[in-house]
Amino acid sequence: MASVDILQTLGNKYSAEILDATDEPQSAQELSDELEIPIATCYRRIDELTEHDLLELHDNILSDDRRRIKVYRRNVETIHVDFDESLTVSVEERSGVANKLDEAWRTLSES
Amino acid sequence: MIDTTRTGIDGLDEILNGGIVGNSTTLVSGNPGAGKSILCLQFIYNGVEDHDEKGIYLSFEEDTEDLQEAAESLGFERWGDYVENGDIKVYDKQELLRENDFSSSLDLLLDDIEDAEYDRLVLDSLTMFELFFEDETEKRTYLLKFTDILKKNGLTTLMTNEQGAVFPETEIGLENYLTDGNIYLIQTPTESGVNRYVWVAKMRKKNIETDIFPMEISQGGIRVHQNASAFSMMSEDESPL
Repeated sequence: MASVDILQTLGNKYSAEILDATDEPQSAQELSDELEIPIATCYRRIDELTEHDLLELHDNILSDDRRRIKVYRRNVETIHVDFDESLTVSVEERSGVANKLDEAWRTLSES
Repeated sequence: MIDTTRTGIDGLDEILNGGIVGNSTTLVSGNPGAGKSILCLQFIYNGVEDHDEKGIYLSFEEDTEDLQEAAESLGFERWGDYVENGDIKVYDKQELLRENDFSSSLDLLLDDIEDAEYDRLVLDSLTMFELFFEDETEKRTYLLKFTDILKKNGLTTLMTNEQGAVFPETEIGLENYLTDGNIYLIQTPTESGVNRYVWVAKMRKKNIETDIFPMEISQGGIRVHQNASAFSMMSEDESPL
């Protein structure tokens, strides 16, 4: 029933907007301001989307007042819903190659 | 004193004034059949054989068996043994493109790279690697990040590049600017067969011979002839232009 779960998560209010906006990494606060989502709802949606691997924690950046801020980026390029035979939802992830090189490079510059 | 990695190829190390700069990335360009993969096989094999340096060979073009056959046909008899005992780690096209996705094998590769166990790496070819990125900006960014990762992990790298034109001046890609060294392999057809040349156009931090030198491919691999004047690249009847 993972397929139905994904569709439900996507169908929740603001989910699609959040994915649409996270082409570049964004913090919960930024998303909340930009999309006019109540902050608590914003956090809840982020958790749901992250649980289903549609969104990922991209980095912990340092803010101007030296606090750590979590920024999120969408992890998905395309979603196909197929009703032939049985319901399947296939998620096409963003280029894993680019993501992994980003990550390796980031670890490199931190060490 | 600059740390140098010897290719072990007769004549080439002399042109390079000792060898390739350590922890750098060099682009090897040429037409199909110009000898890019052979040069790379030699670089990895000689590293193990003569310098006790382990190597990683990434091939999007061939599988493990083809590579071993190619190596053995050139006289690198112990290639198979080295792969077996882990001195040479091969990622062949089947492994790299498993599940139609390079990203799963990239995980393993990055682990190996970060292990600091290896000294030399070959990417055959950069042309294929770049297909995983969407536009010029991405290609540029990720080539730089990848070479940075290799460099910081102490790897001296050769990347092959498919070249469309006979003369490299006519087609200079971004890759040429983003790498530390550029070696061109050139072949020109003649009545009796093919003349082969090597041109080291660039090697950062090194004083190199920038003439075009004749070379041959035979048993033992590539051999570069030092005596440039004995072979004229531009002799009237053989000029490819």
